[in-house]
Amino acid sequence: MNHIENLVVCTDASRTFGSGLSAVVAVQGTTAQVVPGARIAIAGPSGSGKSTLLHLMAGLELPTRGQVTWPSFSTDAAERTQDIGVVFQSPSLVPALDVAENTALPLILAGVDEQECRARVAEALERVGVSDLAGKLPEELSGGQAQRVAVARVLAQRPRLILADEPTGQLDHATGQHLIDVLLATTAQIGAALVVTTHDRTVLERLDTHWSMHEGRLLTAATQGVLS
Amino acid sequence: MTITWLAGLLRRRTGRLAATAVGISLAVALIAALGTFLTTSKATMTARAVHSVAVDWQVQVQPGADPAAVLNTVTKTAGVTAAERVSMAATTGLSSTVGGTTQSTGPGVVLGLTPTYRHTFPGEIRQLSGSPTGVLLAQQTAANLHVRPGDTVSIGRAGSAPVVVIVAGVVDLPQADSLFQKVGAPPKSQPSAPPDNVILLPQATFDTVMSHASTAAAPAPTTQIHVVRGAPLSSDPAAAYESVIGAAHNLEAQLAGAGVVGNDLGAALEGARSDAIYAQMLFLFLGLPGAVLAALLTAALASAGADRRRAEQALLRTRGLAPRKVARLAVVEALLVGTVGGVLGLGIGAAAGRLAFGPSPAGSSASTTLIWAAIAFVAGLAIATLTVLVPALRDLRTRTVAQSRHAVGRPHTPWWMKSGVDFMLIAGALFVFWASSSNNYSLVLAPEGVATISVSYWAFLGPALLWLGAAMLLWRIVDLALKHGRRPLARLIAPLTGRLAQTGASSMSRQRRPLARALVLVALAISFAASTATFNATYQQQAEADAQLSNGADVTVTESPGLRVAPAAGAGMQSVAGVRHVEPVQHRFAYVGADLQDLYGVRPASITSATALQDAYFTGGTAKALMAKLAAQPDAILVSDETVKDFQLAPGDLINLRLQDSRTKKLQTVPFHYAGIVKEFPTAPKDSFFVANADYITKVTGSNAVGAFLIDTGGTNQSSVAADLQRRLGAAATVTNVTEARSQVGSSLTSVNLAGLTRLELVFAVLLAASAGGIVLAVGLAERRRSLAILSVLGARRRQLRGLALSEGLLITVGGLIGGGLIAWGLSQMLIKVLTGVFDPPPSVIAIPWGYLTITVLTVVSALGTAAMVSARASTRPAVEELRDL
Ligand SMILES: Nc1ncnc2c1ncn2[C@@H]1O[C@H](COP(=O)(O)OP(=O)(O)OP(=O)(O)O)[C@@H](O)[C@H]1O
Ligand SMILES: [Mg+2]
Repeated sequence: MNHIENLVVCTDASRTFGSGLSAVVAVQGTTAQVVPGARIAIAGPSGSGKSTLLHLMAGLELPTRGQVTWPSFSTDAAERTQDIGVVFQSPSLVPALDVAENTALPLILAGVDEQECRARVAEALERVGVSDLAGKLPEELSGGQAQRVAVARVLAQRPRLILADEPTGQLDHATGQHLIDVLLATTAQIGAALVVTTHDRTVLERLDTHWSMHEGRLLTAATQGVLS
Repeated sequence: MTITWLAGLLRRRTGRLAATAVGISLAVALIAALGTFLTTSKATMTARAVHSVAVDWQVQVQPGADPAAVLNTVTKTAGVTAAERVSMAATTGLSSTVGGTTQSTGPGVVLGLTPTYRHTFPGEIRQLSGSPTGVLLAQQTAANLHVRPGDTVSIGRAGSAPVVVIVAGVVDLPQADSLFQKVGAPPKSQPSAPPDNVILLPQATFDTVMSHASTAAAPAPTTQIHVVRGAPLSSDPAAAYESVIGAAHNLEAQLAGAGVVGNDLGAALEGARSDAIYAQMLFLFLGLPGAVLAALLTAALASAGADRRRAEQALLRTRGLAPRKVARLAVVEALLVGTVGGVLGLGIGAAAGRLAFGPSPAGSSASTTLIWAAIAFVAGLAIATLTVLVPALRDLRTRTVAQSRHAVGRPHTPWWMKSGVDFMLIAGALFVFWASSSNNYSLVLAPEGVATISVSYWAFLGPALLWLGAAMLLWRIVDLALKHGRRPLARLIAPLTGRLAQTGASSMSRQRRPLARALVLVALAISFAASTATFNATYQQQAEADAQLSNGADVTVTESPGLRVAPAAGAGMQSVAGVRHVEPVQHRFAYVGADLQDLYGVRPASITSATALQDAYFTGGTAKALMAKLAAQPDAILVSDETVKDFQLAPGDLINLRLQDSRTKKLQTVPFHYAGIVKEFPTAPKDSFFVANADYITKVTGSNAVGAFLIDTGGTNQSSVAADLQRRLGAAATVTNVTEARSQVGSSLTSVNLAGLTRLELVFAVLLAASAGGIVLAVGLAERRRSLAILSVLGARRRQLRGLALSEGLLITVGGLIGGGLIAWGLSQMLIKVLTGVFDPPPSVIAIPWGYLTITVLTVVSALGTAAMVSARASTRPAVEELRDL
């Protein structure tokens, strides 16, 4: 094995929702790891467990079986969150804060000083092309605009692991491609790892590692090789 | 479809529906319980009025008519249970010779009473000493003549020689005013005071003594038929009054000119009638704001759930449901909430009423309870319609599907703020207040003998407008402060929120609409609780003062007239357990010109140790200042307003009184100097009297005889101390205590169970204040659960989230308490001014119920604190799940 430390390691991790007859196994016996600099795309049909896996890797959801660890991050959950940036599939902006304030949230929570905070927020908004929306409230944005702000929030945060759940889901093709460009460029620039779930083939092709999910089971390159 | 939807609604929004129903139930309960209070107190007033008169009707037999025939007609009249004949004649004067000196009086009245009279009308004559049968002398007459039972009195007769009778007893005529009224004469030509000299003879004696041939100089005796009525009366004083007046007119018609009815019962009911109006106004004053508050609370709760409802409506409409059907669902929801809230409220109201007024208060009948239940229930439905249905319909009309997603919005300035409605309301309040506090204003105008009562309901506009206007102004101030004060706000909440201070301040600034609404609601509730509690406390203080005023002190020992008791006798009373202070007060009679008035000799330095003297009793100085004047200048005297006018007195003027010298038994002139006006004084009558220095009176009359001892018991155990004293003193003195007086002061609102009302209302006010704070904050924070969840997934710590929730709670609490306190202060001042007529005597200081206020504040603070804490930690669900919900 190489000496590079993994960012996140899933060991036979499962997540079941509900119990008894109505139980849904969203993620089943998943073993996988993400190394620094990795660019992973996860594909799979709707309901196959992509979002749930991402939440497990973010530490926002606890596995019902097996375990998820972050060998190179702090053991304190709140501190760890500062190293992991999540772009959610559903709207995730605070309704009472404007775009700039929303984008600054992770920085404020991390205690970044005001001046740097402002610069990083401006830069991130610039990158995803929503600078002109800085003073708008979330409810005044279109779905795609809100999603770009969510991406900008992660970019401004500069985490070591970016988990993006269908970041281009509500965008037209060109804007989507641009957003992926920005994500790839930023991850390269800050040396972060990137995990993206997507239904979009063209997005898939931009990333070097492809995983796929099917009914809660993860098929990585390694397991795929075994299967095929 | 409706059923499925309803079931879904109940499942998904149980909490919010329940909260809305609870809000409605509070309004319903308050209305139902206060309605019961109103009916009950009206019944009590009627009962008291009936109880207060000794004789219901005095039928004056007209000259030339046959008394026996009139008596016959009266007895046969429906509703009359008993009737007795009373004869009245004039005497030119009474005289007596006791111990070698002869006293004589001016003209007086001779009454002839049947043997059964005192049994039929027990309230008319009170025995003070001697035998109950035979010739009786009124107390003041006996005092004037120095006569005791067994002595003889000569009755002067115009045109005939005087006759001599032996006095068997001395009596008091508690209802002399109505007994000696000029029947049928308008109030203005009624005698200003009952006759000073009265002698009561058995009817047989009267017939032989007074029925001498009538001449021009000696008019024939007159006859009255005194009547007890037994006809059932309506429990509403106004209705009872009308029926009694009607019956009296009916009797007069039957008598066809042979008799005129003096309607004592009618007069008493007339007084009760205006008291009933006051009770009604208390109901309006205290009940209406409470109901309004509960409605506002309900509206706040319902609108907190409005985002979800809008989203649901939008969903239903995108699924192709016609707006009409969506509207029908809203109607069903409003009906559901209104009905559940109504039923719950009636339950609470019944329980609260029982707690406050007892199981089945007198005068509450099934029908009145039902009527009030129905009114309260309908009010509940109306509130549900206004708070649930109307907003839903409005959204349906004005909102597009896309718009209904919006939750925060940029708060625009509401129309009322732009046009300054708050300032207009306050200006209106001040104007009404100014108009209503002018001199010739009275809240209730009940002209004697007129069936209609006019109430200046518009005077209530003052406090009502002030309440609303001040609340809106508070809203404006909070809105402005949150809009422009982000930086100071951030600094204020920094200790709670740490790094999130700036963010929290921004968020609160954008959420200023719901925050201001919650804050204003808390302020309204607190001001309601505080101002009504203050009003009640002041009322209680004045009722106590009134009772003290009429009884004199906690316990009063009144010495029999004619007995000469020295102040030293007080030492014996001092030894009775529970007695804290004994204060002797002299009671004499003094002539000023031809006018005989009561004179009270007090020890100015120590009188206030036994009884409270309020500044309102005096003019021309505070109670303290005037007592100091009496102490400093022994011949100073306080006189009545009337005397000042009659004699054109200016401060320092000499005023000569004629007092009896105890050594010579002769009247002698004693100089005093006018020092101030006294309107009321403990034990003193309501009309004119004097107050002077006891030492000076002792010096100039040669007697230190005490009229009454005022005894302070520290406000407790009055009845037992009174009983002890009575046992010790025997029949020589009359011992009364303030608790009896309290129940006898029947003319004012004391007869209303204000204690029950107070209890009921204070509990409601606390409930309202607590729920206004707690529920509104909790619901608001629940709306913000999503925001807290987002912060949490971004790495905010629990402590910081709790800090944000607490900051909002704190803002609402502190702002609500300060705002509510200020509004309450202004409101109390205005309320007490407007309702001055309710107070007797008018208050010179407002009583502030600190204990209750502390409880209210603590309750509100803990409700808000609990709500903030609970909602900060209530989300046990993982934050991501919160994000999945719309
Ligand atoms: N909080 C939850 N409670 C119950 N079931 C859940 C929950 N979250 C996810 N599931 C279920 O787990 C399964 C996987 O859901 P997940 O959101 O991970 O799918 P996905 O692959 O992201 O789908 P999509 O492509 O539509 O976003 C689904 O069947 C979903 O219904
Ligand atoms: Mg998904």
